[in-house]
Amino acid sequence: MTPKQFKQTLLAVLIATAFLLPLVVQSPTYLHLLIMLYLFAYMTTSWNLVGGFAGVLPLGHSVFVGIGAYISTALWLQWGVSPWIGMLAGGLVAAFVGYLIGKPTLKMRGAYFALSTMAFVEGVRVIVENLDYLGPLKLNGPRGLNIPPLSPGEGGFWAFQFSTKEPYYYIILVMLIAVALLTWYISRSKLGYCLQAGGEEPEAAQALGVNVARSKVVAMVMSSFLTALAGTFLAQLTLFIYPKSVLTLDLSFELAFIALVGGRGSIAGPILGAFLLRPVSELSRIYFSDSLPGMHLIIYGVILIVVMLYQPRGLAEPLGRLFNKVAAKFTSGGSSETPGVTENAKEGA
Amino acid sequence: MDFVFLLQDVINGVLMGSIYGLVALGLTLVFGVLKVINFAHGSFIMVGMFVAYWAVALTGLHPYVALLLVVPAMFFFGYASQHWLIRPIFKAERDVREPTTVIIVTTGMWYVLDNLALLLFGPDYRALTPNPLKGQMLELGQIFISVPKLYGAVATFATCAGLYWFMQKTRTGRAIRAVSLDRDAASLMGINQWKIFNIAFGIGTAIAGIAGVVLTPFYNVYPSVGVPFDVKSFVIVVLGGLGSIPGALVGGIIVGLIESLGPMYMTATWTEAIVYGLFLMVLFFKPSGLFGQKHDW
Repeated sequence: MTPKQFKQTLLAVLIATAFLLPLVVQSPTYLHLLIMLYLFAYMTTSWNLVGGFAGVLPLGHSVFVGIGAYISTALWLQWGVSPWIGMLAGGLVAAFVGYLIGKPTLKMRGAYFALSTMAFVEGVRVIVENLDYLGPLKLNGPRGLNIPPLSPGEGGFWAFQFSTKEPYYYIILVMLIAVALLTWYISRSKLGYCLQAGGEEPEAAQALGVNVARSKVVAMVMSSFLTALAGTFLAQLTLFIYPKSVLTLDLSFELAFIALVGGRGSIAGPILGAFLLRPVSELSRIYFSDSLPGMHLIIYGVILIVVMLYQPRGLAEPLGRLFNKVAAKFTSGGSSETPGVTENAKEGA
Repeated sequence: MDFVFLLQDVINGVLMGSIYGLVALGLTLVFGVLKVINFAHGSFIMVGMFVAYWAVALTGLHPYVALLLVVPAMFFFGYASQHWLIRPIFKAERDVREPTTVIIVTTGMWYVLDNLALLLFGPDYRALTPNPLKGQMLELGQIFISVPKLYGAVATFATCAGLYWFMQKTRTGRAIRAVSLDRDAASLMGINQWKIFNIAFGIGTAIAGIAGVVLTPFYNVYPSVGVPFDVKSFVIVVLGGLGSIPGALVGGIIVGLIESLGPMYMTATWTEAIVYGLFLMVLFFKPSGLFGQKHDW
């Protein structure tokens, strides 16, 4: 068995394990934690398309989560349109907004882009909090929207409402695998190379005929579309959305944190980051929130600082190297220090 | 009568706006020299407010005496955080075009500082006691001017003047300006850029401390008090031009005026939307801000 085969086998085993996990994990609490983990891995992978490959730092992706959540919910509440269709509609609107906001801002330098996306979130939140209706769409201001739960038997696939957690688990797992595959495909496509070139050396890339600005906007449009899908999923999972739950800087920042701790610009990075950071924030919140208020965010902040100090490019790289060593030991192939192997290795982790 | 109201609001807006300018001044200085957005700036203001609060609560001295404690303490705090936390990342990211990792570190500092304050002092809103300036008003005909806000505005202009003098007349100030223009050329001329970064960051933090002290007599102190100032000062520095000192002052006064005049014509939350709208407009049409130069970094 070559190291490559070993990795492919391991990846298959990991994905299979993920699919079989609900058979073992019966507790709704733990299933919910896993669902949130996958959801954040999904959102960060979508973020990574523009934040990782294009080398800019968007801090406004919660706007797209909010668009996805609000549009599908309003369509369902007002006209009974299935959230699956609403999901698509939300995605398309988000893609359009992503285009409008990305076109002028992506030309800016890093600091300006980060700040303008931040101001965008705050502006949209203030507007949503002040409007009961946006055209025909009901927003309900700061009170938010409540999706009334359907009685058992009435719900089901079309309504995107399930009485148990398992269907949500499988939906988000499939979404996560799909977005990881898409990222993998893009990273090996012309667009991916253009983005990476433009992120590292914009002038040189431009001189070689790469349309840096355009490829960044394309990445932004795709990223906003995919992020909005997560918004619909979140709305259907919690059945309640309000401006401070989806349109916050906290959510936007968390996506950036997960990507940077994991390793931006790689496929495994965002997923790895979510698996490392989400449990920390969830568990420390559960254990410390009563006795030591604020402790969980102190731990979170310290982890951010320490990881950035010692592994400024994220944890995917050193962990990938470690994994390669282990893989080399298990297989007959000696050294496996080939570039790009890191990404392949942990894709489905 | 209407005119008096308008004048009253304009005066309030200018006073509060110049304090916003003071808040943004430290941020813009750090950005001008290090090209880094310091997300922990609001937390530094919070730290300054808590130090001032405890200094007054424990000793009963006049609130502004706390400046003697806050300014040097905050300077060394900023100096040390730059030296131990930001510099290593800077060095690691030397060849990277847009050093965004530093943003994450300063955000981590923001989380740690705000929540450390929450852990130590709880979430309560505290008002300064004893507060000799509480509710003091200067009466000019029909117009009332809040005395602590007036002192705050005075502190802003004094700090600006002091900073201007320091940057123009001292050797260190000249070195800071040289590093902010071209750090590599400055290094070749024998300037230790890392030390200059430390000093600039220290000064920026000390200015946040001054803002904290002048805010304490009329503003509640609580662990997340810095957050609204944080977001507001980003808006202000972009309005005025990142890195520009007069820009911070003018941007602050613009935001202060919008905030104080806006509620006459609309609800307060829409005023907030106007501030963000203006921010985005400036970004789109004049990204270098009102006083900024066309940067290439």
